[in-house]
Amino acid sequence: MGIPSVAIVLSEFYEQETDKALQCGMPGIRTQWIQGPVWAKTREQLRRDVINGNNPISGRPVMQEIVEKFTKPLTSEEKRTGEIERNRGPETYTGTSEELQKLFLEKRFTDFLPVVLPTKERVDEMLMGTSHDPDEVVGKMSPTNTGHYFEFWTFTVRDVAVNAVMAGCKPEYMPVLLAILSPDPRTGISKEAISISDNGFMGAVVINGNIRDEIGLNYDVGAVGPFAHANTTIGRAWSLASINVGNGGKVGTTYMGVIGNQGNLINIVIAENEEKSPFKPFSVRLGYDKGENVVSLFEGWGILSAANWAANQWGKEMDYPQIMKNIAAQQGFLFGTFFVLSPPIADFVKQKFDTIKELEEYMAPPSPFGFGGFAKMKPKPGAKSGDTPAPKPAFQMPPNMPRIPVIVTGASNNNYWSAGGFRYSRSIKIDDWR
Amino acid sequence: MKRYLSAAVSAVLCLGLFYSSNVMEDTNSFAATNDQVQAVPCDEKITVLTPLGTPPNIKLKKMAPRLDTLDGKTIYFVDDGFIGGDNLLYEMIDWFKANYPKTNVLYKRKGGMGFEAEDPVLWAEIKEKADAVIIALGH
Repeated sequence: MGIPSVAIVLSEFYEQETDKALQCGMPGIRTQWIQGPVWAKTREQLRRDVINGNNPISGRPVMQEIVEKFTKPLTSEEKRTGEIERNRGPETYTGTSEELQKLFLEKRFTDFLPVVLPTKERVDEMLMGTSHDPDEVVGKMSPTNTGHYFEFWTFTVRDVAVNAVMAGCKPEYMPVLLAILSPDPRTGISKEAISISDNGFMGAVVINGNIRDEIGLNYDVGAVGPFAHANTTIGRAWSLASINVGNGGKVGTTYMGVIGNQGNLINIVIAENEEKSPFKPFSVRLGYDKGENVVSLFEGWGILSAANWAANQWGKEMDYPQIMKNIAAQQGFLFGTFFVLSPPIADFVKQKFDTIKELEEYMAPPSPFGFGGFAKMKPKPGAKSGDTPAPKPAFQMPPNMPRIPVIVTGASNNNYWSAGGFRYSRSIKIDDWR
Repeated sequence: MKRYLSAAVSAVLCLGLFYSSNVMEDTNSFAATNDQVQAVPCDEKITVLTPLGTPPNIKLKKMAPRLDTLDGKTIYFVDDGFIGGDNLLYEMIDWFKANYPKTNVLYKRKGGMGFEAEDPVLWAEIKEKADAVIIALGH
């Protein structure tokens, strides 16, 4: 635009924004760092902490620095143009296993747990799990898929295999992992499991079809927990890939979760218990054939036992649809509500509603933010650009998009079930990645 | 004695890393599968592949020239919509009015949904009328 500008940013984001400025081609951009937070402070407090305060990085008065950032001539370094060539560093590392475990930890290639070291032999064996060329570019990923805030790193089938080895996956899991990491055809962007957001998001997948038994996914006792090799290592591999091929999860630069989320270690991998569910499988409700191997992606905060919700009043007799409705009414708009029902709870629900669609209509939730949330919003009457937000939907809501995803899995040894906040993103055919 | 103990512990850990999966695979082990793990002596050097994706090159952009003075200039204060950013900008505007009375100041709320959304109309106005811009808030 050719007009000098100063962005006001909390000093906690210094490393992240400095990195981001470089990625954007303006390493010398003149950002003004201030003491946070701003949100929730009164104007008096802001005057004291920011206007009359110092830059926490430089220790100099904030307002004086802003004036200087507008008036101090550009340095020769700031005037530099051209292109900085980059690569990902060495293609291989050599050492003893102990040295390499330490190196991977120091380079933040891991989730802080020991990994299976990705030798060429192990990676080649992992690549046997797919017919896709090892050098085929799978997609691109950044620490957030919301817009183009961060640069995207591209990655190949081989890169996915390396991370799959590290997570302990078996070759037969590769089509599932590649499907999870495949790009959204609407944007060309792959979904990260570890988002930079200070909200502390995590990922979840729902897997339907015959592949559940083929690769040994657990959908019985402990279905959403780390109690089967396939569920656990696929959930871990998605996070490791997000760290390594998506440049995510680095505290201070590409991860800023205020509290964090333990689910970032192993994302929830839910194989639906289609055999015990009284409803059509989730993928079939989306339009796929029964038995077709499909993985559906979700992002959100996680799930907790429904016993956690005050709406779930325990009694001799239970009206589960009413409880679900009450829980859904408590959920925020960002991710909406996500239910994981055990088969006995699903049976109770079935006695009142024949289909999940009828149940959804009964619960009548607001659409989660992102798809329908954008699309349905209208500008206020008389709104002008620069005065009030003017909604611009990124996507239109798919016609069969679940308003409240309801998944059935787990065992029947008691009436426990879970609810939480997860927003549906999209579904992918796993067999396309065999 | 401590050194011997330490060496013994290292040896056990080392063997564990390479052999544990053989024992645990059938019990849904978190470690590698049989086929992935070979019995490799701890001091033997091995070569592994990088797990990283590939970052793009960076094209450096030209920064805007600075101003000689703020007197007679117009600064746009753009609120990107983050909660509390408006109050902060109002305070900054008050400071400029008090300390740079010859500078024109103007508050604007950026349109679009979300902090990243573009507002071409506002950008065009800024390009035409502004000499400098302050944008808040990077929370």
